Amino acid sequence: MKKLIYLPFILLLLSACVQLKDTAATLYEKENPIEIRIELPDSISKRKQIKITAVLTQDQTTIEKFVHFQIWKSDDSVNYGMEEAINEGMGRYSISKQFDTDGLYYIKVHAGSNDSIIMPQYRIVVGDLTEQDLKILQEGQNRQNSMHEHHH
Amino acid sequence: METDKSQSSAKTTPSLFRTIWRWHFYAGIIIAPFLVILSVTGGVYLFKPQIEQVLYKDFYQVHPDGEKTLASRQFEEVKKLYPEGVLTTYRPGEKADRSSEVGISLNGKSLTIFIDPYTAKFIGELNNDDRIMDKIEEFHGELMAGTPGDRIVELVACWAVVLIITGLYLWFPKKAQSLSGLLVPRFNKGKRTFYRDLHAVPAFWIAAGMFFLIMTGLPWSGLWGTQFQTLATNSGSGYPPSVWVGDAPVSGLKTKEIGDVPWAAENLDVPESKIEGFITLPIDHVVEVANREDIHPSYTVIIPQDEKGVYTLSAFPPRAQDEATIHIDQYTGAVLADYRYDNYGTLGKIVAWGITLHKGTQFGFPNQIISLVICIGIVFVSLSGFYLWIRRKPKGELGAPRAPRILKKKFFLLLIIILGILFPLVGLSLIGVWLLDLMIIQKIPAVKKFMNA
Repeated sequence: MKKLIYLPFILLLLSACVQLKDTAATLYEKENPIEIRIELPDSISKRKQIKITAVLTQDQTTIEKFVHFQIWKSDDSVNYGMEEAINEGMGRYSISKQFDTDGLYYIKVHAGSNDSIIMPQYRIVVGDLTEQDLKILQEGQNRQNSMHEHHH
Repeated sequence: METDKSQSSAKTTPSLFRTIWRWHFYAGIIIAPFLVILSVTGGVYLFKPQIEQVLYKDFYQVHPDGEKTLASRQFEEVKKLYPEGVLTTYRPGEKADRSSEVGISLNGKSLTIFIDPYTAKFIGELNNDDRIMDKIEEFHGELMAGTPGDRIVELVACWAVVLIITGLYLWFPKKAQSLSGLLVPRFNKGKRTFYRDLHAVPAFWIAAGMFFLIMTGLPWSGLWGTQFQTLATNSGSGYPPSVWVGDAPVSGLKTKEIGDVPWAAENLDVPESKIEGFITLPIDHVVEVANREDIHPSYTVIIPQDEKGVYTLSAFPPRAQDEATIHIDQYTGAVLADYRYDNYGTLGKIVAWGITLHKGTQFGFPNQIISLVICIGIVFVSLSGFYLWIRRKPKGELGAPRAPRILKKKFFLLLIIILGILFPLVGLSLIGVWLLDLMIIQKIPAVKKFMNA
């Protein structure tokens, strides 16, 4: 029975399971992605001037870069093209816009620094939604957004 | 094996030889069948690229004609044909004449839909459960038996290391001897010697290759491999997190405003605030990022399945140096992590090379042939070892070498304990065997005699 003395040691070693550390990622190559927040009025009505602001930060500091906005309607009937935003400083970039018709619109913000490029798409509702708009949403028919249906 | 040599030559210890022979004998009898299975399945799996190229030729091959269509067009086709399918992956195809693949999950099945990227038309559907090479891989990795199977394979792999070490000891010349019987079989020393050489000599030749395949295969295993990978990743010298162990970063860390979609068609009074917000970027944007980031063209896009998920670009091409794992925020398109081979730690690089060499892809055809020779060698050595046993086996007994008291063999005991620690499953199985010996074999005379214990 002398062999039994080895048992606790072996069991101890076997049970020494390792957990992945939360900080492990910091030991490897790190990216420095741009983060964005969009500021809009609470509700948007047609034929009323509004201000759309993108607040950009990177690594907790604000960035000074060229930023463009691209706005189109979900049914592609309206497309405003690329517009350069006004740099208000402190990482705030804005444009003023007036929409002529109700419906679903998409705002795409193009922003880039040396090591990060983002182009998020933000969906807004002008006035009231039509049944058609909802259908587009649900069927994901908008070509630009044909794959938003992942959470069935 | 230098230490073995000095020990055995200093004082000839026939009982140490016997101890090791006994271990080699039992380990061999138990794991040889599994080694044969692993070698055969592995030998076939080596040729996966060629085999799949033949099997799925009609699915793979397309005629290049102008520009490839957008990924979103191809998705539309898939959505039209499989309205209930959930898109999970997209593989654009690495060559001009290669189809693109859209992975969907549908009623619990995962399907690959092959699409002609030039016309965005459907080519064919393959249920991933029907992929014969995946079955072979499952056999090779877990004997088609899930986690228990994975543990058995791991155990076999670890015990194969014991076999190699004990085998080398038995093979090692005990006194000055010519190379025959070591590097070439002896044909003129009688049948017994010839059959022994038929096992020991080829075994020596393949030992290094077999050891290599075991050590490069182990990082895959569920218990040892996961522990090893976690330790390596934690230390900063392994794979970065999410490449093997660990989670990918999450999307929208600072993006609270995410647009939602109402699902009932009649429900018109959804609060606008729910619809407004960032939306998941279309696949085309992700393909753009892939092109910009210069990833190997064989990459696959893994599509996020929930709000926090990321788009992952994953490329594990034949050569380790071309590997890449890129995580992209599903809302902003920002690259959250970009892990290339160059970003792996030293251990990670070694494991990556080990894997591509193990799979026979790193150096292409020559790599496959060398690995195949090792596989055939393992089968041959297993069979010849088995035959050696049959030849010496007396009726009604196993014919195992006599068991000396292992505690007297301090060096050997130490070696076994070290192996038991390095490979916990070996340690665990040793404890099991020891308990079995203590409680059954030593208690029942008939069994004791049969096992020669």
